[in-house]
Amino acid sequence: MNDKVEHLDFSALAELREVMEDEFEILIETYLHDSAERVIQIKEAAQARDAEALSRAAHSFKGSCTNVGVPVLANLCMEVEQKGKIDNLEGIDELVASIEQAFLEVSELMKDQI
Amino acid sequence: MSAEPLKILIADDNDSDRMILQAIVRKQGHKVVTARDGVEAVEQFKTTSPEIILLDALMPRMDGFEAARIIKQLAGEELVPIIFLTSLTDAKSLAQCLDAGGDDFLSKPYNRVILEAKINAFNRMRIMHSTLQSQRDLIAENNDHLLQEQQVAKTVFDNVAHLGCLHAKNIKHLLSPLSVFNGDVLFACQKPSGGMHVLLGDFTGHGLPAAIGAMPIAEIFYGMTNKGFAMTDVLREINQKLKQILPVGFFCCACMIDMSFARGDVEVWVGGLPEAVIYKSGGELIKIPSNHLPLGVLTASRFATETYRYDMSEGDRIFMWSDGIIEARNVDGDMFGEDRLYEVYQDVKNPSTIFSNIKQQVHNFIGEGERDDDLTIVEVEMVPEDRLGLDADVHLSKSALMGPVNWGLSYELRGETLKDFNPLPLLLHVIMEVPGLRLFSGQVYTVLAELISNALEHGVLKLDSNLKTTSEGFAQYYALRMQRLSSLDDAWVRISIDHQPEKSGGVLSIKIEDSGEGFDYSGFKDAKMNKDRYSGRGIPLLDSLCRRFEYMGAGNIVEAEFAWKTE
Repeated sequence: MNDKVEHLDFSALAELREVMEDEFEILIETYLHDSAERVIQIKEAAQARDAEALSRAAHSFKGSCTNVGVPVLANLCMEVEQKGKIDNLEGIDELVASIEQAFLEVSELMKDQI
Repeated sequence: MSAEPLKILIADDNDSDRMILQAIVRKQGHKVVTARDGVEAVEQFKTTSPEIILLDALMPRMDGFEAARIIKQLAGEELVPIIFLTSLTDAKSLAQCLDAGGDDFLSKPYNRVILEAKINAFNRMRIMHSTLQSQRDLIAENNDHLLQEQQVAKTVFDNVAHLGCLHAKNIKHLLSPLSVFNGDVLFACQKPSGGMHVLLGDFTGHGLPAAIGAMPIAEIFYGMTNKGFAMTDVLREINQKLKQILPVGFFCCACMIDMSFARGDVEVWVGGLPEAVIYKSGGELIKIPSNHLPLGVLTASRFATETYRYDMSEGDRIFMWSDGIIEARNVDGDMFGEDRLYEVYQDVKNPSTIFSNIKQQVHNFIGEGERDDDLTIVEVEMVPEDRLGLDADVHLSKSALMGPVNWGLSYELRGETLKDFNPLPLLLHVIMEVPGLRLFSGQVYTVLAELISNALEHGVLKLDSNLKTTSEGFAQYYALRMQRLSSLDDAWVRISIDHQPEKSGGVLSIKIEDSGEGFDYSGFKDAKMNKDRYSGRGIPLLDSLCRRFEYMGAGNIVEAEFAWKTE
């Protein structure tokens, strides 16, 4: 677990576990698999300076992060989405890098949950 | 958890989100079908007909907004609630969800309790909507059925009610139906004697109840008028019938006239309707009081048939109307009223425009106002009888060419029967069975009526027709008539009628004998030509109508031969 940042919302995860029952593991695996793709999409869009694609990918990623109980990553996504929306990509590479970093940390933490 | 499991479509491109939602909804006991984009969502809707749809707003290929529009269109009148799934939070985006046909939205992260409450709420709305739809359809179906029945009934009614001569050239009328069935009825029928009966009736209420009451009125009115009954007899019969069949509180306001073109006068009875008026071509306006209760209110014994009689010259017009004309309201709720109505009769330049002026004035007055009663008005003009434009045989069936042509009858009236009973309708009924003779019904009626009345009044009752030359004498004549009628015992009048066919016609022989003393008829041929005397009017008329007309015996026997021929 990261010292500074509380990546996971444990009460949300507990609730999910209750709802999903046996499928909880599959959900988490699905989330991680999809998210890995989203991170790549975001990186590519940022490199291409495609504000619209960037915003759309970040928006979708934000949604699933919210649902699965990963608030910090969700907030980072929202920042990217906002930048994309107003077409101001200043500092975008740093932001995308921190999403990448956060996702790595979340992945590690999530594996402990399964 | 809802009692009935629903089929719910979940459309979301995000696999993990879709899984979570699917798990939540399944846990609530519903069946789930899924789609990963808008195109799939529309396809799933077509093939699986879900009851409620959870739709992600942003999806590849086709977004949720577009899918919602298509699905709502496909659903038509059925309510398929669409709940948008969104992590959008700005007001504009949320409004966009609703504009596209969405019914609500659900924000991420999904809250199980809220989602369940929403599904249940929309299910209730869906059921209510579908109940409403089926009840609406049922009402529409019932209404169609009712209208169809009314159309059929109206056809029957029109066939019964329009036997008459409303199309005569001297009649103008307006019948404006508030519903398919009008509460107002208007009948006109020629009398065998050549005059005309016109009846305007306004039933309490509209629609079917009014029409049902109108049927017997039409039957009685046409039946009795055709057979030669007097207006008061017709009114009495209608009143009695309506009293018998209508529930309490239902009745028929009416105005009836008997117009005689030969005498140039009109007899009027008004019960419950507004006063009628006669407009003389000189500009004078005569108001005819409405002084009776409507038809169907009083028992036969209390029903009053006093009428008003007015002379009418050619071009004079009588107007009758239902209260719908007077009570017609404009947008402000003011009534048209009698004052406005009578204003139309001021400074009339061309009397033939009065009718259309009234129509126009009422129409202008009502404007955008709502009609809340039937507007019925009729004008009957005094014209020479040959200008009525009525085909004499129009109401005669051509099949009536077969029938009795060679026959004779004898009919004797005695004692109190002479006092109470009018044999004319019965005898005319028999006589008119002779094919072709109905074309001469007016003349036959006149001859028979005069002969029978002479036998009774002069023969049996010994009344002196000279009395009728002054107005005081006229009153005395009728007083004596009443008095002597009440003391008839052994008196009788014997009527013998015989019909022989001749080429395209025939001869109707009438012999009337009475129990009176007779009179000296030796110089009668000269006296009977005296046309100045009112009371003598019958005799020259008889003489002109009959091929042979003579008194016999002691003067208590009269024989008349009426010869007729069609083209």
